[in-house]
Amino acid sequence: MKVRGAGKQSGKIDLQMAPMIDVVFQLLIFFMLTMKIIAPEGDFNINMPIGAPAEQQDDDIQLPDIKVHLVAGPGGGLDGVMLGRRNLGNDDQAFERLNNEILKIIGKPGNPLTKDIEVEIKADYNLHYGFTVKAIGACTGRNDSKGNLVRYIEKIKFAPPVTPGA
Amino acid sequence: MRFQPAESTVPEVDMTPMIDIVFQLLTFFMMITNFENLKADERVKLPDDSRAKPPLVSRERDLMLNVGFERDTEGNKTNPAALLFLAGEQMPVLQCAPFLNREKRLFNDLGIDPKEITVVIRADSEVPTGEIQELIKLCQQQASGNVGGFQKFALKAKSERDAQ
Repeated sequence: MKVRGAGKQSGKIDLQMAPMIDVVFQLLIFFMLTMKIIAPEGDFNINMPIGAPAEQQDDDIQLPDIKVHLVAGPGGGLDGVMLGRRNLGNDDQAFERLNNEILKIIGKPGNPLTKDIEVEIKADYNLHYGFTVKAIGACTGRNDSKGNLVRYIEKIKFAPPVTPGA
Repeated sequence: MRFQPAESTVPEVDMTPMIDIVFQLLTFFMMITNFENLKADERVKLPDDSRAKPPLVSRERDLMLNVGFERDTEGNKTNPAALLFLAGEQMPVLQCAPFLNREKRLFNDLGIDPKEITVVIRADSEVPTGEIQELIKLCQQQASGNVGGFQKFALKAKSERDAQ
């Protein structure tokens, strides 16, 4: 008796690789073309509930909020960083000084007594937004040697905007 | 006289190493592609601050607002007015109230309180701060139909370590 196909073909299945390679190349080209090299982005959270003053509990010690005023120069440049009534300057180190002053106010990072302190940032209308972000960063905390954020202040808000000439 | 049977002149290329490399490349590009950043507008030159950290848990829903300037190829401003860049259109920041109200109503119709939505502001470092504050104010305002405004905001910055 003759078995059909016996001895004629090996049992090995010949896989068609060409379509798979085509698809893989298409995918590769798609991902290569859509890839954008961008710097990593991070956030600063600010809480801005409308018209709702912060809840106050009578039995807690209320610490005064920190007020930072950013004064704009001509063309939107920085003319001064004011912490309360103190002028911290308008150079690159002004924000470092602000950071140090905030640390002095809170004592040490994570201090439970200063957890509810809020920083109110009042920036002049024309001030470049980049300076405002630097001030928010300086109030937020500092990076430790490993690049982790050591947080000084949890709550940051903006003062209402004042339009020029108003 | 006997001749050796002639071998095929078509060389057989071993495709295996090439496929290996292509798969490695494909995997690499798939891993580093960040689909979260598709809402970011390239025209916005973000401020730098190394203390800006990405959120530990990614937000389920947010509203990304890109604010910047029209710039030429060399990065110079061609129009001094700050614009809100939307998909396919742009508008002055102070005239975006109808768009924001539409978004508030849309979230409300989806059964999501706008208070729970974080508005992520990606603004150019040269935009006047006052305009960003006005934008926040417009976000906070109620929309028609007694729909509440947005209350949570996040400000984006480039978090390069040496950018301090």
